[in-house]
Amino acid sequence: MDFSGDAGSSLGNADLSKLSDRDKQELQQFVINESQRARIQSSIHSLTDMCFRKCISAGTVKTGKLDARYEEPCLRQCVDRFLDANMVVVKELERLRQ
Amino acid sequence: MSAYPNDPKKQLMRQVQQEAGMQNARLLVEKLNEHCFERCVPKPGTSLSKGEEGCYTACMEKYMAAWNTVSKTYVARIQQETQQAQQGGLRNSF
Repeated sequence: MDFSGDAGSSLGNADLSKLSDRDKQELQQFVINESQRARIQSSIHSLTDMCFRKCISAGTVKTGKLDARYEEPCLRQCVDRFLDANMVVVKELERLRQ
Repeated sequence: MSAYPNDPKKQLMRQVQQEAGMQNARLLVEKLNEHCFERCVPKPGTSLSKGEEGCYTACMEKYMAAWNTVSKTYVARIQQETQQAQQGGLRNSF
């Protein structure tokens, strides 16, 4: 996690050495959860980026709503098939390793 | 849990969440502008026209709707795969 920038400076005032073991443990779990959430969120950003390109054709952005017949199912399938494909890569690499 | 307002633990948690929120917002703005600029301003003129601005508003709405759809689908898939992993063999990725 990156504490650089403005946010980091005010953290210097907090005395973390006085935390109890229980607090430290709680913080550790919190950081694990937050990093996982950040990872998932960044995956959602890159998936949206890619699937928007594939599913929303050039002229249709002027309609603010998603087309329920084509665009929305396309987005859902785009995510699911990307993850299927990801699994193919993982399985193939696993097979090659043996 | 202590009730002090400047509890260092709470302070740290808040800061981490704020950072994460900022990062998320920054990414969204970047992607929104990337996509909508490409589609709404194919030939940049001397200023943004009313039409281009209107296109941007619609494009943003659409991109965020797409983000939500992708998010729901992805999270549902993760949950489904986590359940399967707990039942059977471990095969987790991405």
